[in-house]
This record gives sequence, structure tokens and C-alpha cells, in this order.
Amino acid sequence: MRILLVEDDPILGMAVRDQIAADGHTVDWMKRLEEASDSVRTVDYELILLDLMLPDGRGIDFLRTLRLSGDTTPIMVLTALDQISDRISGLNAGADDYLVKPFDLAELSARIGAVARRYGGNPNPLFEVGDLTIDKAARTVHRGGRAVALTAREWSLLEAFMARPYALLSKAQIEERLYSFDAEVESNTIEVFVGRLRRKLGQDVIETVRGLGYRLGRGKDGDHRRP
Amino acid sequence: MKWPQLPSRDSLQWRLTVGSAVLLTVLWIAAAVATGLVLREEIDEVFDSALQEVAQRVLPLAYIELLNRDEDATGSPTAQMVPTVDPHSEYITYIVRDAKGRPLLRSHDSVPDNFPTDLSPGFRDRSGQRFYTESGVSGTLFVTAAERLGHRRSAANKALLALVWPLAVLLPLSIAGVSALLSRSLSPVSAWQRQIEARGRGNLTPVGATGLPSEIATAAASVDRLIERLARALQAERSFTANSAHELRTPIAAALAQTQRMVVELAAGPILDRAAAVETSLRDLSRLSEKLLQLAKAEGGGGLSAEPHDLGIVLTYVLDELCSSGTAGDRIVVTLPPIGAVLSSIDCDAFAILARNLIENALKHGTTVEPVVVALTPEGVFSVVNGGPVLSPDDLERIGRPFERGATFAGGTGLGLAIVEAIAKAAGGHLELLSPAAGRADGFEARAYLPVHVAQNEQR
Repeated sequence: MRILLVEDDPILGMAVRDQIAADGHTVDWMKRLEEASDSVRTVDYELILLDLMLPDGRGIDFLRTLRLSGDTTPIMVLTALDQISDRISGLNAGADDYLVKPFDLAELSARIGAVARRYGGNPNPLFEVGDLTIDKAARTVHRGGRAVALTAREWSLLEAFMARPYALLSKAQIEERLYSFDAEVESNTIEVFVGRLRRKLGQDVIETVRGLGYRLGRGKDGDHRRP
Repeated sequence: MKWPQLPSRDSLQWRLTVGSAVLLTVLWIAAAVATGLVLREEIDEVFDSALQEVAQRVLPLAYIELLNRDEDATGSPTAQMVPTVDPHSEYITYIVRDAKGRPLLRSHDSVPDNFPTDLSPGFRDRSGQRFYTESGVSGTLFVTAAERLGHRRSAANKALLALVWPLAVLLPLSIAGVSALLSRSLSPVSAWQRQIEARGRGNLTPVGATGLPSEIATAAASVDRLIERLARALQAERSFTANSAHELRTPIAAALAQTQRMVVELAAGPILDRAAAVETSLRDLSRLSEKLLQLAKAEGGGGLSAEPHDLGIVLTYVLDELCSSGTAGDRIVVTLPPIGAVLSSIDCDAFAILARNLIENALKHGTTVEPVVVALTPEGVFSVVNGGPVLSPDDLERIGRPFERGATFAGGTGLGLAIVEAIAKAAGGHLELLSPAAGRADGFEARAYLPVHVAQNEQR
């Protein structure tokens, strides 16, 4: 997933960014609301992690503005405001989740996954395609009953396809999802990762649409199910 | 018909009414007595004048009468009674005597023996009678007129009574009038008193009473200023705890997150063990600072809010928070009232802290094989029950104190129940700890009795 992290504390922000990246997501970390506003205008994020007390304003106002503009990007509030009234205000303003500092990074990862699944229209973490069984919560893949190990980047690429199973994803869309603003992307990087996924999960798991991009295949039996 | 309620004996209205009534009675009686005395003196003068006039009028008439009278054979005069026109009772009697005191003529009701023998002119009192003697014909003829003093006293007393009896009517009327006047005059003071009483524990807005008497208005303005200062002080304290919470949470979160990253990234070995130990300490520090700030906030007041809250909804958010954090798992069984059934003036943040602490306590210290039963009744009783062994009365008393913990291996700060008790008290309620839990042979139950909004009770 491409995630926007809005957090002004450099030490906490660094740890959160590293955790999310280690989970295989792509993170853009902004320390001010102004930068965050510019980012959401440029990139279609799949999740925003938002602090509420920022140097140039209140995160709750940013959240309300986004929702009023019709933006439905999932937003998880990460805040030191622990009162239930703050939580109620945050959720009423349109936040999808509300996590109070200090929090466990493992819990943050789990909640990011839960929010993403909820927005993907399928809260069930299990995804099946062909002979593959993918547990999005546990971040495991089984092929024909045997576990397959994926790197964080490979997992992120697979997640991108699972998010829109029939849809065609252009190379640019995949790059946007996999790489942050400051990352340098080689011209053949996407092809390399698609090749690795095919070797591990099967050649037909990802179809190439010549000149346009890629999409999740239907597997050997030509079917995929979302239980 | 509903009679107006009598003012309290300590009230200003009662004191002024009774004082006015007593003062009015005393002054009225004093005025009546003084008037009576003056009246009596005037009556005496009038009656003396009448007595004198009678004697002076009778004297020439008696002289003429005596000149025309025949003397008896002995040459001694014989007292003759003046014939009466019609029998009647005389207020004034008289007797005409010669220089030797022998009676010559008398009125028909007169008793000669009652008259003084002294014939010197002038007034004198004797045997309850007033006498006046007048002499004439060169000191040979004396007229003495007499009147009963009782007659005069009776006249004076009747006049005095006529002055006093209206008091019997005027006194109750004046009490009622003064009371009504005072009630009307003091109504702004009574309204101010009710407004102050209605301020309760959580409402610290200035009263801003109008129409108060100038003597009270100064005190009312001082009270308003005092309330404002108190509200500012409490607000400052709450802001401090809120800001402290925020300022503390972020660096702790940063330290914890960095340590957790370190634990993930380090290879197994002594440094990883140290990082894991730091992580554990940071978690404890986080928990302790959170609980201390909660306790500070609870003990600093602010348990009530101006607007009532639906505790059922607040509790739903608390449970959602506990479940989404994975703290509760599927161990909680909840009984919630209908929406809007439990409106309470307790501050919603304070109630959330109270509920979270009780539920976390039950999850931490209760047996894991039994559910934690959470219930909120329309009467404002919030209870949390968990399984476990029965606690002794001493343990029950002890675990409510700060930093005291029960016989448990579960971690904790020992502040949870102290926070809950402080919040319940600040909101005007109280906390009750039971073991065994109600209706069971074992377990532990914590019940918080919370204020329920009065209007809601009336509606029900």
C-alpha cells in the first residue's frame, strides 16, 4: 500500500515509517499539514496515518476538509489525545480508526491491515486465487498447501493486485504504490518484481497486458474466490 | 389550596417578620399606656370641673331653699332631701351643711356619713370618693359634692381598652403584611440563593443575579468573582494535566517505537535482551504516567459537565476501543440500556476513564475462563463482574487505596480503583466493591453509583 504518514515528532515518525516500510508498504512521511495537503493532491494514497497536533494546525481540521471534499481515503488517527471525547470527535470527523500514543508497532501494523481490508470491501483476511491461499492479516501465502516466503516488496506488489483483482494496473500505478517520493526507481524494477512473484507463485498468477500493464490472473483453473 | 410555605426560623424573612411584630406590639402598647395616662388626667380635670360646678351651682339654690324653709320647734335645722323628679342613680351627690357640720339639704342618693367632716373648701379624696367643698354666706353654709372615683377609672379604662383592642386585629395583619413585603423584597435574594444551590459541583459559571438589594449585590458580585477565579484555576489544572498527558505521551511513544524497531532489527544476543528490557520498562512507564495523570485529573475535580451525556453511548465507544486494541478479546459480556436511558451529568471523559479502568482491572485480575460481565442500569449503576476467588473484607478495603494491589501476579499500577473512586466521588457518586459478586459464590464486583440526570428521572 502507499501510505501517507503525517507526524511531526521526528523520532516517533522515523520508527513508524520504518515499521510500515518493513511491512512492505510504501510511506511518504510529512511533518506538516501543508506538505500533507500537497501530497494528497498529487498521489492517491490507500491509507493516511494522521497525528492531530501538528505545528501548522490541527489534524482534525485536515481530516474534515478531506472528507468534505469527498475524499474517501482510509484515515487512521495516531494521537496523544487520549480522552474519549477526542476519540468520538475524531471518529465523527471521518477517521476510520483512532490509535492513542504510545502504541505497539505490532498493533499499528495489525490495524493498518484491518483498515485496508475493510476498505477493500472484504474484511475477511483470507484470499484465494488458483492454488494460492493468501492470509492478508498474517501476511502468509500458501501454494498448494506449502508456505511460500515473500519479501516485503513482493508482498506489497501482491497486495496491490489483490486490492483490485480484475483491474488492470499500469506500470506507473504500480510504481506509485510501491515507491515513495524520494525513492529512485530503475526502469525495469517492476518487471523484475513481477518475474519474482511468477517464479514463486506460478507463471499465470499475474497476466501481462501488452503495452498497458498487468493484472491478477485467474490461476490454473481460471477462477479466483474471495471467501 | 396550597398555603405559602413558612420561612425557616433561621431565615432573614422570619427574623425581620417576628422582630417587626414584636416591635410593633411593644410600641403600640407603650403608646396606648401613655395615651391612657394623659386621658386619665384630662378625664380627672373634666370630672373635677363638673364636681366643682355642681357645688357652686347648688350653693345659691340651697340658700334660697333654706330661707324659704320653716324651722322646727327646737330651732335646729332638719336635713331635707331634695325631691327627685324620677328615681335614678346619681353619679354626683351633694350635701349642704351649716358651719357646725349639720346637714341641711342633700341629694337623694347621698349618704351623709360618707362625707368628710372637714368643711374647708377644696378637693379631697376619701373612701374611694372625690369630694369638693364650697362655702358661702360668709362661711355659714357649706356645699360638698361627691363622686365615686370608680366611675372615673371605668371611663379611663374604657378609653384605654378602645385604644388597645385594635392591636388584636392589627398585629396579625401587620405580621402578614410585613412578611409579604419582605418576601417580595427578598425574592431576588431567594432567586440568587436557588441559583447558587443549583450551581452544584460541576457548574462554575457566574450567577450574574440582577435586582438584588445593594447590601447583597456586593456579596453576590464577590461570589461571582470567586466562582470565576475557581473556574479559571480548575481549568488551568485540567489544561495542565491534559497538556502533560500530551507532552508525555509523544516522547514515550517515540522511545517505545524506536525500542520496538530495535528489538525487531537486532540479532539474538545480550543487546537484544537489553532492548527487550527497555521496552518492558517503557511500557510500565507509559502505563504509570497515564494512570498518575488520570488520578491527578480525577482528584482535581472536573467530574461533572454542564451538559448531560448518554453513558450508554460513551460506554459503547470505550468497549469499541478496548476490543479494537485487542485488550478485551471476546471475554466481555455487556448489558447496555436503550439509547438515551442513562443521561448523566458525569463528565464523559471521566466516565470513560472510570469504565476503562474497571474493565481492564477485571480482564487483568479475573479468571480467564469466565467472562467479564459489564452492565449499566437506567438508575446509573455501572457494574463490572469478574470470576476469581473471594477477597477478604481487609483485601477489599485495601485494594481501593492508591498503589495497593490484590494478591495477584498480573501486572498493574495499583491505581485503577483509586482513580475510579476519585472520579465517582468527584461526580457525586460512590464506588462499592463486593466479593463474592452479587448473586454468586465467588468472584469480584465493582459497582459505581453515578448521578443520573434529574430531568430524565422525572420523564421516566
